[in-house]
Formats: sequence, structure tokens, C-alpha cells
Amino acid sequence: MAEIQLHGVTKRWGNFVGVDNFDLTIADREFLVLLGPSGCGKTTTMRMIAGLEDPTDGEITVGGRVINDLEPKDRDVAMVFQSYALYPNLNVYENIRFPLRVRGTDPAHHEQRVMRASAMVELDDFLHRKPSELSGGQRQRVALARAIVREPNVFLMDEPLSNLDAKLRVSTRAQIKNLSHELAVTTIYVTHDQIEAMTLADRVVVMEKGIVQQVGSPTEIYDRPANTFVAGFIGSPAMNLIEGDCAGGVFTTDSTRIAGLDVADGPVTLGFRAEDAEVRPGEGGQITAPIYTLELLGDATMVSVRLGGVLVAAKADKTFRAEIGDMVTIHVPQEHCHLFDTRTGERIGG
Amino acid sequence: MTAKALRQPASLRIVSGAFLAFWCLIAAFPIAWIAVMSFKSPVDAFDSNPLNVIFGPATRADGSGWSILEIGLGLAVIWVTARLTVRRAPPLVASYSPGGYVALGWIVAAVLIGLGFVLVFFGLLPLVTDLLNPILGPLGRDIIGATTEHYQTVWIERGFIDNFRNSLIVTTGVVTISLTVGTLAGYGLARSGSTLAFWILIIALIFRSLPHSVLVAGYLPVFINSAEWLAPILGENAPTLYGKPAAVIAVLVAINQPFTIWMLRSFFANIPADLDEAARVDGCSHFKAFRLVIMPVMWPGVITTGLFSFLLAYNDFLVTSLLLDASNQTMVPAIAGMFNRETTTTDQVVAVAAAVSITAPLFLLVMVFQRQIVSGLTAGAVKG
Repeated sequence: MAEIQLHGVTKRWGNFVGVDNFDLTIADREFLVLLGPSGCGKTTTMRMIAGLEDPTDGEITVGGRVINDLEPKDRDVAMVFQSYALYPNLNVYENIRFPLRVRGTDPAHHEQRVMRASAMVELDDFLHRKPSELSGGQRQRVALARAIVREPNVFLMDEPLSNLDAKLRVSTRAQIKNLSHELAVTTIYVTHDQIEAMTLADRVVVMEKGIVQQVGSPTEIYDRPANTFVAGFIGSPAMNLIEGDCAGGVFTTDSTRIAGLDVADGPVTLGFRAEDAEVRPGEGGQITAPIYTLELLGDATMVSVRLGGVLVAAKADKTFRAEIGDMVTIHVPQEHCHLFDTRTGERIGG
Repeated sequence: MTAKALRQPASLRIVSGAFLAFWCLIAAFPIAWIAVMSFKSPVDAFDSNPLNVIFGPATRADGSGWSILEIGLGLAVIWVTARLTVRRAPPLVASYSPGGYVALGWIVAAVLIGLGFVLVFFGLLPLVTDLLNPILGPLGRDIIGATTEHYQTVWIERGFIDNFRNSLIVTTGVVTISLTVGTLAGYGLARSGSTLAFWILIIALIFRSLPHSVLVAGYLPVFINSAEWLAPILGENAPTLYGKPAAVIAVLVAINQPFTIWMLRSFFANIPADLDEAARVDGCSHFKAFRLVIMPVMWPGVITTGLFSFLLAYNDFLVTSLLLDASNQTMVPAIAGMFNRETTTTDQVVAVAAAVSITAPLFLLVMVFQRQIVSGLTAGAVKG
């Protein structure tokens, strides 16, 4: 059992708060993704679990045992570093064998275990090469094999894909997903890439400025963002956010009027996703504005209009054609509207 | 095939080649010339005709010289030894030394090769040439006058062998201590982000910039009175450190340590901290990570730094001449003692032989470690 619990974990450097009062229970065999922009404290959280950073406050337990004061080697975790951190003087075989060797496990089983781990990441042909003779993707797989060879309780992955090119990233992502399914080990995965988070995670933790913004499954985070930060961070393109006023269930700005909303009067931020909106040439929508730009995506056409300084995007049919400057209206079905308190940014309805 | 645009014009290549050759000649000439002089009788060594210095007719007339056969066989032995060391030794060492003790294997190999060379070159070779020289006629006749009597005078009669031993003690002590302290301190300072680490480095730099004689002056009374202040700890047998190699080692380490710490720190700083962290997560303690993961990557840096502290200790004149008594003198101050107003030409050639004896180990050392030194000086880091 490797259920990980974090109770009020905090990391401060002087006055700077890296991670603030982090509370979370990570279930056994769960794939948890820590997601956020750089500097949000996600890597620090992972490093505290690995034991490479001491929490200023709070308690971390693995399987019910407090591990705050344990050395990294005694925590039974394995980690994949962003830079891979392969040992340059050892060949691939010795790199993968290293955790077994330093932990003094029975040498008779080393070869078999290394071969199994390297087969899982398809490295069999490169075992005698030095890391400097490998491509980026191969190095990444060596780092993965080195992590899985020991069959640890917990996997930690620190942006393992960020140094790969776009195409390799997609295939390696699929490989990691498959591996985690096969190994069924508790995994914590740090990334700033929301697509990685959506595709890999059982649960996503969205962080910003050291504070947890939302914890939930990928669908929850996508469909019901807890605040404007999550709404603006998740999705490609991110959710459209329009600031305006609500009176009697009617949201209005200069060019927008959406009625039938169930929300108290006052300043409100309205959010909707591009794919939920409908673009209509001429009349009939709730947002009326000239087209700012048109992007052909192949499977759809992205229409953007400018509303008081912010760009609002809506997905139109792939056959949609218009000129920049043409007037369009955008229809947002009322059930797809998300409403946030403009002052606090918290979700208040929709 | 080189692109035409990248190829240098012929004139430039000739000029730069000629300049390089000229420069090598100028740089190597003094050493090469004293090496030649040291094998000649004083009459030849100071002859105004350079050809006489090279061929040494007076030395040959004295009955000592080398025949073509001897020169050929000597060069062959040297060549075979070098070839064996470079080609055959690495795989043998790798296959015979138990895992993790490759360095030990190399030490054993070096001792074996050295012993073998001495045995063949100085033991077997003279026997063979003595037998063959009379038979071979012109090939066996001396053509270059050369004598090793000056080396015998220096090493045996003048006791240079004791100076050599003392130099060995001092340099081994200095290199061992400054590398041990330097790697540990350099690693700690490179990995620590605290302001204290920064100030320690600045203070080290200030110590490094002090004139060496200032340090000696500060240490002198301490060493002279050491029997007194060591007595509470060591009792009756407390030694007077003045005049002992230990005193010189202490001062030279003090002079040299700031530099080694700075140099090793920059080598360590170039090794990503991810490596230690990966090792610690993989199951190493902090020190084991340092030993198993960081040190193997650091060898070029350690060897380069070690060479610099070796040179400092080996070439030091001021500290050794001030702090050592006659029985513990190292090679460099010993040579200075060979010159005085009554110096004869024989004495001068003997001193020249001593100078060549000092230089030879340096050549050997740089040859053996040249690859590591070059990568240590140029790259400075190992990319992961």
C-alpha cells in the first residue's frame, strides 16, 4: 500500500512562500498530475515528497508512515528528472542497474530485472552505449527504465517530456500511460502542459503561486473550473472570460447580452469554451462584434472577436468563411455559461 | 572533403606551420640543450663549437660514447615500452583489476612497467651491447661521445637521491592533502547556496593573494617552538617541526589550498546537481552519491588540479629553502646549493645533470595525464 498523505505541507524560503499549506491524499495506484505554470510550487511539492527538499511545515506520510525525516534513499520512491540525470560514465545497462547495485539487492537477479525494465521501454539494442551516444528520446527512456527497475512504491516524474520534440512527446506520453497502467504504482507527475495532464491523470491538482486552485478529475477540471485561474489555464484555447454586470439574471456588457442566468446581481465574469459557442453570421446571437481574426484549424475554424481588450474565441464549422472585419454574432447556450465572482475569481454558478 | 571556403590558403598554412615549428624550436631548445650537455665531459659541454657539444669528441676520446647499435637498441626499448603502455596495458588492466579498483590496477601496472624498463634498459641492454659491439665493426664503434658519469656524481656522490626522496615526500603530502580537502570543500561549496559559502571563498582568495614569505614568517616561530606547545598533547617525544617535511607540507598546503578549492569548486559547479539527487533517490547516502556518481565524472578536474598542486610543491624554492634543514632538503634548493664562487666547469655540468633530473619526471607526468589535463583545462565539465 502506498497511499500518500500531505498535511499542511508548506515550504518557505525567507519571506517567499513556495508551497502554502498543501493538503492532499493520494490514493494507492493513483496517477496524480500536479499542473501549473512555472514557479507555482509543483516541482517543490514533488521534491519534498522525494526528500530532496525539507518542508518548512507539515507532515508527509506514505502508507501511514511519516517520512519527513527520512533520507531520499529510505523513502522507496523513484524519480525521473527533467534533465534525465543519467550517470555519464556508466553505459545504459549500468545506469539502469545502478539502483539495484547501490541498494545491495541480490546480484543474481540484476540482469533479469534490468532486461525486463529495458524491454518495457524498448531499449534492448542500446544497453552498451554511453548516455552521450543516445538521442534525447532514448535518454528519456533510460531514465524511465532506471526508475521502474526497482519496482518502488511511488514514482515521481518531474516534467519528463519537456525536453522532447513535439512528435516524440506524443508517443512517449502514450508509452508512459501504458506503463503506468501495466505497473499500477502510485505516480505523481509534474507538468506545465495541460494536455499531458488531461491525457495521463486520474486526478489533476492545479496549482498557482504555491496554492492549490482545484483538485479533480480531468473532466471536472475542464467542465467545472473552480475559479478564473483554472478556467483560463485549462483548455486550448483557454476558456473565454468576459467581465460584465449581472442584473435580474441578465449578463450585459457593451456588446453582450445573455439572459436567463441564475445568479445574484453585481459584477460577474462570464466564461464559456470556444467549442460550446455557436457562430452566426448577422443576427441572432448574444455577442455582436466585428471579426478580429480567423484561424483555419482544419477540423474547424476559430473565429475571434475583440471585446473591450480581451479576445473571445468561438469555434465555427470548418466550412465557415468570412472576412476580417465582418460583423458576426456569437450564440452561447445558457447551460454552457460559467459564472465567476469578478472580485474573488471564485465560481458562483453556471 | 573540406569545403573550399573552409580551406586555408597555402601561403597561410605554410606561414603558420613555419611559425609553429620555429616556436617549438625556441621553446624546447634550452631543455634539449641542457639535456645534451649533461651527457658530455666538461670540455665538450662548454665548447664554443655547437657541433662539438652535440657529438662530444673529447668525451669519445675518454672512451665513453654510444655506438649506432646502442642508440638503435635504446630507442627501440623506449619505443616498445611506450607502445606496450599505450596499446596493450589498458585492456590488460581492465580485465585483471577487480571491479571498482581500476586505479589500483593502474598503479600496479605502472610499477611493473617501470621495473621492467629499468631492468631491460640498465641491466640487460649493456650486457647485450658489450657482447655485440666488438663483433659488428663500424656499427659497434662509438659515434657520439656521451657519459653518464655526471648523473652518477649527482645522484650517488652528491646524495641527490635523498633530495629526490624528500621531494617525493613533500609533493605526495601536499597533493594528497590538498586534493582530499579540496574535493570535499569544493563539492560542499559548489552545492551550497548560502552566503557563508560565498564569504569563505572570498577569504580563501585573500589568503591566496598573500605573498608566500608572509605565510612562512607567520609559521616560523610556531614550527621552531613546536616541541614546547605540542608537549601537552604528545608528551616528551613532541617533535620540533622546523626542518621537517611536515612543516613544509603544512605551509605549501596553506598556500595552495585556496587555489585548489576554487578550481575544484568550479569543476563541481559544472556537474548538474540533478546527478547527486538522482543518486540519492536511487539509494545512495549523500557521501555515497559523491563517491559513486560525482567523483567518476570529476577525474579530469581532479587530475588537472592535482597536477597544479604537484607543480607548486615540486618547484617551490622559497618555502623549502627556508624551512628545511640540510638532511631534508628537496631537489630545487639542493641545486641552488651546487653553485658558488668556486664552481668549476665540472660542477656546472653536474648541476646541469641535476636540472635535467628534475625536469624529466615532469615530462613523464604530463605525458601520462595529457588527455585528462587537456579535457580538464578546456571542457571543464562533463555534459550529462
